[in-house]
Amino acid sequence: MSTCPFGTRRTSRWIPWLSIAVPSIGWLTFGLYPSLATVYYSFTNYSGLPGTPETFCGLCNYRNMFTSNYSQLSQAVVTTLEYVGGVTVLQIVIGLGLALVLQRRRFGFGFYRALIFMPQIFSVTIVGVLFSLLLDPTSGPAETVYHSVIGGYSSFLGDSDLAIWLIVLVNVWMFSGYTMLVYIAGLRRIPPELYEAAALDGAGAIRRFWRITWPMLAPATTVNVFLTVMGSLGEYALILVLTQGQYHTQTLGMFMFNTAFGANPDLGLGSMLAMVQFVLTAVIGSLLLWVLRRREVSL
Amino acid sequence: MSTRTAGPRRVTPELIEAERVARRRRGLLRGLRLSGTQLFCFVVAAGFFALPLVYLLLQAFKTYPGFLKDPTGLPHPWTLSNFSAAWNQGGFGVEMINSLIYAVVPDVITLILGVFLAFPISRGWFKHSNVLYSFFVFSGFLPAGLIPLFVEAQKLGLYDNQVGYLILTSLTGAGFFFFVGYIKTIPRELDEAAAMDGCGYVRFIFQIIIPQMKPALATFAIFGFVASWNNLILPLIMLNDSSLWPVTRGLYGFFGEHTTQWPLIAAATVIVALPILVVFALLQRHLVEGVAGGAATGSAGVGNAPAAVAAEE
Repeated sequence: MSTCPFGTRRTSRWIPWLSIAVPSIGWLTFGLYPSLATVYYSFTNYSGLPGTPETFCGLCNYRNMFTSNYSQLSQAVVTTLEYVGGVTVLQIVIGLGLALVLQRRRFGFGFYRALIFMPQIFSVTIVGVLFSLLLDPTSGPAETVYHSVIGGYSSFLGDSDLAIWLIVLVNVWMFSGYTMLVYIAGLRRIPPELYEAAALDGAGAIRRFWRITWPMLAPATTVNVFLTVMGSLGEYALILVLTQGQYHTQTLGMFMFNTAFGANPDLGLGSMLAMVQFVLTAVIGSLLLWVLRRREVSL
Repeated sequence: MSTRTAGPRRVTPELIEAERVARRRRGLLRGLRLSGTQLFCFVVAAGFFALPLVYLLLQAFKTYPGFLKDPTGLPHPWTLSNFSAAWNQGGFGVEMINSLIYAVVPDVITLILGVFLAFPISRGWFKHSNVLYSFFVFSGFLPAGLIPLFVEAQKLGLYDNQVGYLILTSLTGAGFFFFVGYIKTIPRELDEAAAMDGCGYVRFIFQIIIPQMKPALATFAIFGFVASWNNLILPLIMLNDSSLWPVTRGLYGFFGEHTTQWPLIAAATVIVALPILVVFALLQRHLVEGVAGGAATGSAGVGNAPAAVAAEE
């Protein structure tokens, strides 16, 4: 521990504390407190409507959710896992593919990278409206393509079997550029001598990829998988704009939002869903870090 | 790349000729492959990632009857009336100003408070600076506090008012983790020299530390600005009065009201997307480098996840 050189001998002890006081108070009030209060609210039956009491009711929400509304909860968990799995796999594959092609410093490649990165700077509102237009079942281009290629009709975002996967694709469209950039940064840190040595040994392109590129990209893969999983686990803003959680697209986050801020608000139940979300995120997150780190070491 | 083999080799004219032919063939192949890759990259980048936006833009130039007649084709006749209609009906002028306020004010305050929070901690002026740091970092993994934040805002009178919304969004302290490491690279000798010369603490932060941190602050400011500008959930929950809405919330409402009037909705979306597209065009290099720089720290970048998530919310 060192001492603060500023101020007089008397004031220098207090300067660091004063410095962190205002940001800390702000963070305690609007950052830490709401997070911790979620735990408390999950034990109340507070509707959130003005004038209604917030009564402590113990495990009422948990009991309710794991008995009478169990099917809805399990459906939300399944949908969340489908969404996270779909987004992660596709985004890693597409991001890596784009990175392998676009990592080179060639004419126009900077522009292509920027174009691919671009979608994520738009608000979910813009992206949501854009894809509602593209996937409009009566007048969208997706309908035209579907009708002429596959035949028949689809209601796309109104189709319970299809909607969640379409939102997965929208999410991938939005964020593949990020994954690509992280992979490009990783690819550029691989020493070229490794490839030269492999070429001398007569290793082909596929062999070079699996023996050099893929293992050397382990840190970038850790970052990408972790960020993609964590990001898509909590995602619901995009789903809100596209389907409002209808047609089997109600992920846990969407379920929480609809419960807390929908037509019949129930903040207590919503908080409980936020807790379920938190536990799921914590379990998956720590499991992932453990697996990915072990993988990095073993490679 | 070295292709010379180890063993001695007699150089004959035939060998030289063969070498030349092979080299020319390799060059030709590379040229072909390159233009193939170029084409491929262009098709992917433009076709998959930009075409949807171009399609949206085209819809905005259609008249409604024109759209109904040929929804997926080119506009016929072309019209500009959707833009003025959307602008007037959506009230996007006021909403743009709201968006700008909601993006700039919290951005600036968060940055300044973040520096004031990070500086003493990165200098280790507290008995347990590391503990304090980990405490802040781990708080990022706690449950989402959206619901209690909503209740709190109502109780404190911050709900459905502009100042309240700014207070809520300015004081959450994201970005702090990012700064601690960066400040450590600024030499301590500067502090001591400045203090010896009688420079005050606040003045030192504003005149020495903040200018020194310009690259880091700029990157964070841009990402923070874009994140706040794009936020939909918080305005949806915290702002009921439509005159207080930012463009994201406004467009969401507009979309709900005019569900099938696609040319009008497309025009509104273009209007809302344009400012951020301009920001992107101007700062594209910075944004892209910001991501690459964040990734350069390798798996340590995972530690930034809570901050990134917090900034998104």
